[in-house]
Amino acid sequence: MSDWIAIGALAVVGIGIPLGMMGVSALLRPSVPEQGKRTIYESGEVPTGSAHIRFNIQYYMVALLFLVFDIETVLLFPWVVIYRPALEAGIPMARLLAPMLAFVGILTVGLVWAWRNGAVEWMRSPRATRRKTKRNQP
Amino acid sequence: MAAGSLLDVAPAQLFPEQVTNALGLPGVIGEAVGALIAAFLVGNIMLAFTGVAGPWAKRKITAAFTDRIAVDRIGPFGLLIIPAAAVQLLAKELIIPEGADRPSYDLAPLVLPASAMLGFSVIPMGQLGPLNLQLADPEVGFALTFAFASIASISLVMAGYASNNKYSLLGGLRAVAQNLAYEIPLIVTAMSVVIFTGSLRTSEIVAAQQQALFTVAGVTVPSWFAIVNPFAFGLFVVANLAEIGRNPFDIPEAPTEIVAGYQTEYSSSYFVLFYLGEFLHIFLGGAILTLAFLGGASGPGPASIGFVWFVVKVWAFFLFTQWCRSALPRVRIDQLIEIGWKGMLVLSFANLILTAVLVGVIAS
Repeated sequence: MSDWIAIGALAVVGIGIPLGMMGVSALLRPSVPEQGKRTIYESGEVPTGSAHIRFNIQYYMVALLFLVFDIETVLLFPWVVIYRPALEAGIPMARLLAPMLAFVGILTVGLVWAWRNGAVEWMRSPRATRRKTKRNQP
Repeated sequence: MAAGSLLDVAPAQLFPEQVTNALGLPGVIGEAVGALIAAFLVGNIMLAFTGVAGPWAKRKITAAFTDRIAVDRIGPFGLLIIPAAAVQLLAKELIIPEGADRPSYDLAPLVLPASAMLGFSVIPMGQLGPLNLQLADPEVGFALTFAFASIASISLVMAGYASNNKYSLLGGLRAVAQNLAYEIPLIVTAMSVVIFTGSLRTSEIVAAQQQALFTVAGVTVPSWFAIVNPFAFGLFVVANLAEIGRNPFDIPEAPTEIVAGYQTEYSSSYFVLFYLGEFLHIFLGGAILTLAFLGGASGPGPASIGFVWFVVKVWAFFLFTQWCRSALPRVRIDQLIEIGWKGMLVLSFANLILTAVLVGVIAS
């Protein structure tokens, strides 16, 4: 129980120290509003449009794969923890390894499929892809 | 390295208990007050690390690598640059960009340092005299520290999106791509350590590395997992560099490509907090590496100077990141995805399975 009190205490400190720095800074710093000061930085040009737009994040297939593998790691953790104690308790290695190998094997098949379909590659830009498609047409 | 011998290592009183007992605080409230004081002291150790590293050591190291002289004007070795830089940065005007997404813009610089500090809660930092500098030692400690450390990327996305700046947006999204690619190799490699220890308790992971592995010419080599399994160590170092976003994996910031990435529009105390959070994450990465592969806070000499060894190891990792910063080119983002998903992921699972088989063969 005391472990979690300590972690909670560190959370309070971890948020308190940054807040304290913000507070000190608010007391120290000047405020000199000028026209154009708050403009978005765009290498010195007048900014064009907003950054809150629909944006091709390029890696949504990778993100889906990540979900699968992340859950896999969570499910592997208990197995990893009991592996050595179970061995020492005299359970044969094959009986312990087989389920994990089967589990990882299924996901490996998935990864191979994703790999062959190009899901773990950075997507090409639509324009470059279009150009390539055009070139390939007879 | 039998399971029985691990339990023989008497768990010393942790730092919060020591503080509570020393002050004689009673009850649950006393425990909480003691924990707060202990956490505050540990937090200040980390602030001292970053204070020395950020304005001073980083510049000195980079200067040494590039054959220059840096920060030598104020005080001995230029050390007084540290308070000077702190005051200067905190006294800067805070400029909030037009169209910034306010709650998220303000919260992002809180989340980054807080997540890094929380990661330190379960790290055994060794003893300093009678003090045992570890805040908590829960059964799931090792997994917990990874969970805390990975909150950082949320902060980067918040900052990147809320700034309303195109460079920031790119930086935030790059941070996600990078974390998606390297989180799994990092954790799967860490699992291969857990196979040896059979426990997620950080103190037991350290204890399992204290047995002698072999003796060469009178020098006893401890069974640090970096020596037992150097392949996993190498994988972990690379994944760790990517996780904390340092060269050659610093693409979320990439100063030569996207200005400063997610922190382009941040100034004053907000910028300091990002800077602080990044350095805390480097040290957290070093602390996790020390805990899992470099025998924790142990070394020659009595156990009461363990903290010194911890500091040496963590700073060695910091020096390594700065060396990489000076020496290695940055990878491109598509290369990064490729290295992560096609290289590191496959290698880390191979390492896990091989380690499991080896441990099984040795045990039976």
